[in-house]
Amino acid sequence: MKKKSKFELIYLTLVMIVLYFPIFYLIYFSFSSGDSMSYFESFTFDHYQALLNDPRLIRIVLDTILLALLASLFATMIGTLGALYIHQVKKKSVRNSLLSLNNILLVSPDVIIGASFLILFTFAGFSLGFYSVLLSHIAFCVPIVVLMILPKLKEINPTLIDAAYDLGASKYKVLSAIILPLITPGILSGFFMALTYSLDDFAVTFFLTGQGFTTLSVEIFSRARRGISLEINALSTLMFLFSLLLVIGYYFLSRYNQNRKINNQKKKVTK
Amino acid sequence: MATIIEMKNVSKRYDDGFEALTNLNLKIESGKFYSILGPSGSGKTTVLRIIAGFSDITSGALYFDNQNITDMPANQRKVNTVFQDYALFPHLNVFDNIAFGLKLKKRPKEEIKEKVANALEKVRLPQHSDREISELSGGQKQRIAIARAIVNEPKVLLLDESLSALDKKLRKDMQYQLRRLQKDLGITFVFVTHDQEEALALSDEIFIMNEGKIIQNGTATDIYDEPVNRFVAEFIGESNIVDGVMKVDYSVEFVGKTFECADAGMQQNEPVHVVLRPEDLDITLVDEGKLTVTIVSQMFLGNHFEVNAVDEDGNQWLIHATNSVSVGQKVGVYFDPEDIHVMRIGESQVDFHNRIEEYGE
Amino acid sequence: MKLRKNLFMLPYLFWLLLFVILPLILIVVQSLIGTDGQLTLANFVSFFTSGTYLSMTVNSFIYALIVTVITLVISYPVAYILTKLKHSQFFLLLIILPTWINVLLKAYAFIGLFSQSGWINQFLGIFGIGPTQLLFTDFAFIFVASYIEIPFMILPIFNSLKTINGEYIHAANDLGATRFQTFTKVIWPLSLDGVKSGIQSIFIPTLSLFMITRLIGGNRVITLGTAIEQHFLTTMNWGMGSTIGVILMIIMIASMKLTNGSK
Repeated sequence: MKKKSKFELIYLTLVMIVLYFPIFYLIYFSFSSGDSMSYFESFTFDHYQALLNDPRLIRIVLDTILLALLASLFATMIGTLGALYIHQVKKKSVRNSLLSLNNILLVSPDVIIGASFLILFTFAGFSLGFYSVLLSHIAFCVPIVVLMILPKLKEINPTLIDAAYDLGASKYKVLSAIILPLITPGILSGFFMALTYSLDDFAVTFFLTGQGFTTLSVEIFSRARRGISLEINALSTLMFLFSLLLVIGYYFLSRYNQNRKINNQKKKVTK
Repeated sequence: MATIIEMKNVSKRYDDGFEALTNLNLKIESGKFYSILGPSGSGKTTVLRIIAGFSDITSGALYFDNQNITDMPANQRKVNTVFQDYALFPHLNVFDNIAFGLKLKKRPKEEIKEKVANALEKVRLPQHSDREISELSGGQKQRIAIARAIVNEPKVLLLDESLSALDKKLRKDMQYQLRRLQKDLGITFVFVTHDQEEALALSDEIFIMNEGKIIQNGTATDIYDEPVNRFVAEFIGESNIVDGVMKVDYSVEFVGKTFECADAGMQQNEPVHVVLRPEDLDITLVDEGKLTVTIVSQMFLGNHFEVNAVDEDGNQWLIHATNSVSVGQKVGVYFDPEDIHVMRIGESQVDFHNRIEEYGE
Repeated sequence: MKLRKNLFMLPYLFWLLLFVILPLILIVVQSLIGTDGQLTLANFVSFFTSGTYLSMTVNSFIYALIVTVITLVISYPVAYILTKLKHSQFFLLLIILPTWINVLLKAYAFIGLFSQSGWINQFLGIFGIGPTQLLFTDFAFIFVASYIEIPFMILPIFNSLKTINGEYIHAANDLGATRFQTFTKVIWPLSLDGVKSGIQSIFIPTLSLFMITRLIGGNRVITLGTAIEQHFLTTMNWGMGSTIGVILMIIMIASMKLTNGSK
């Protein structure tokens, strides 16, 4: 099983190249002084400059970030409560149907979510704009938060809860001093997932933006429909660097955690 | 001494219909070391969980210091528990684990510090205050769990199979420390275990449970010397149990012979179980023995030999001998009349005591 | 105490009701409303009698199937090779990293690559093939859709392959299985769960894609997703849009039952 053939490595490299080629292609042309992605003319930072001098785009970026932060914050709060609620439901059938309902928005195609929310907001007489988008982002981020937290709740040894009561803790104290700290990793990864979901969303937002408010995804879509503009290339370079930074940080964090675990085990063995 | 915990006619039935406890009565006095001993599924942990307040009861009542606490929630009871898996909070270090109960009571910082240090001293881990739980060994976790419980100065400390996760050597050491700690603190310990040796070594008094009932209770020697029935005899220590017939008072017949014994108060020709402890059997010359057996095997166990033998009728005998014998050898087995313990079939502990009182011993 | 319990679960239940159950009801009700505002089955009738809707559904289905098969064929070996690598977690991250780039940016890159004077046509030009219309073709749509979905297929397959105990493979070898037999009899069945969840996470989204069809496929490739978007946002026929949506959901439920049920 552990033997690697040359063919396998070539294949893997090829797939990697295909995966990254379009991204680097975008980045490459962000430095071209021309206005197409066909021929590189001369090196320039012009498109980056244009990006920074485009107050509309900067506002959209800030709006998108604000929207994502708010949406994931609220989704994390609702999702945490939801996970706590689902976890304490004893009856298996009720629990399973709650879980199925929870997952509907996760498995539903974006178009359906967008269309049905459009009907919902129109039905409720709610005008489209920042708040309709925010509400819909909160809505589709809740289930992933629940799913990230539930396993952490399941991992908690029930005797820890008994122990806390035994030592005199009230229900509220058990929650704040034992359960919440223990599920914090789940809450954080839920928040993080919600953030990516919100930042990445195009379809639902597209249905619900109305006039006046737009997010980065929708803006990129409408610009891309109008044709090539190397300003978008510059933007994608920046977004790529941003994700790269996050991934590197995440990688080292998980490596660090693993090493600490291993070190702890080593300590135990030598004792 | 004053009764601290009393369970009156307590029954516990789970939602699935399983009856964990049936009409259980028990009294626990303050300042003693109790063990609740039984095989798994006997209901011993249920008793503990009911006293701690983690399980409610289906019927009956629970008293603490003569006060009915049947419906009192766990966080208001003056008992603390040492859990089988220790249940130390993984996100808190040793100090914060031990201080957990005191902080909930909003005790001043200085007092908390002092009490935690004191508790760590009592479990002999004074230097471990800043350790993380993941850095502790099994034995250390065990002691921190005890410290976390005793720091709250409970009147009763409940210990749920607390030593079962430790290896044998550590267990012996912890048994000794538990006993010392109980003497030091002067509070009641209720120790749940399935290990009879542990129960015999530690306890002032033992409750033996099976199938949701208390089968026998008493001091270690009482139970060892006078098991009320076959279950107790087999569960406590090793024994030779054979079927017999009580001819008349002080005379019992088994393996085809009639022997003088110390038991009385039964009907004539009543079928009984006869118990002979392996350490009460002595190997001697064939013509000096009450039974003649052939040695089948022997094993050296450090302080004695465990000898397996078979008599002329094919009954197997387990004998603890001080000297080595050779396999295949024919030897005599000698025992005194007091070494024969006769048990009536299906006799309860109450009937047993009444009979003993009537006829004396 | 009962009341307090209810209070803490309230926001979540509120969410369930308002954003899960109510929209579902609304879209079903909407699908039963005709252009005249009356309750009717007309939308469903016209869907199932109209050649364009039916052929669009079939086409959409075929495209999704092709994309799923292509991603599976490409991804399975990648996942398998990854499990053998020393720093497999690191390489997995490399595979996942592109998914963090906004899908629209990736689609946008292909607008450049596939254009008449783009690099692909320049490359083809070397062999004297040349410049062909790539953008707004079925090929372009299938290529870009597969490109986007590949990491989502690799991830679950990798995860299921990784949980396979190495001893199973030794055991199979020990029992005399050839490498091919070890694969078909041990590795493949044990990784099937990963394959299934990979298929689930690709097939339905591909049916409902609409931004890629718009950007890369032009208006020629019409998926169910594009049809819904068009009915809601362009022709404003919400009744018909909802009908297609309901049908899409039925297909989704059926395909999930199919992949889960064959366990």
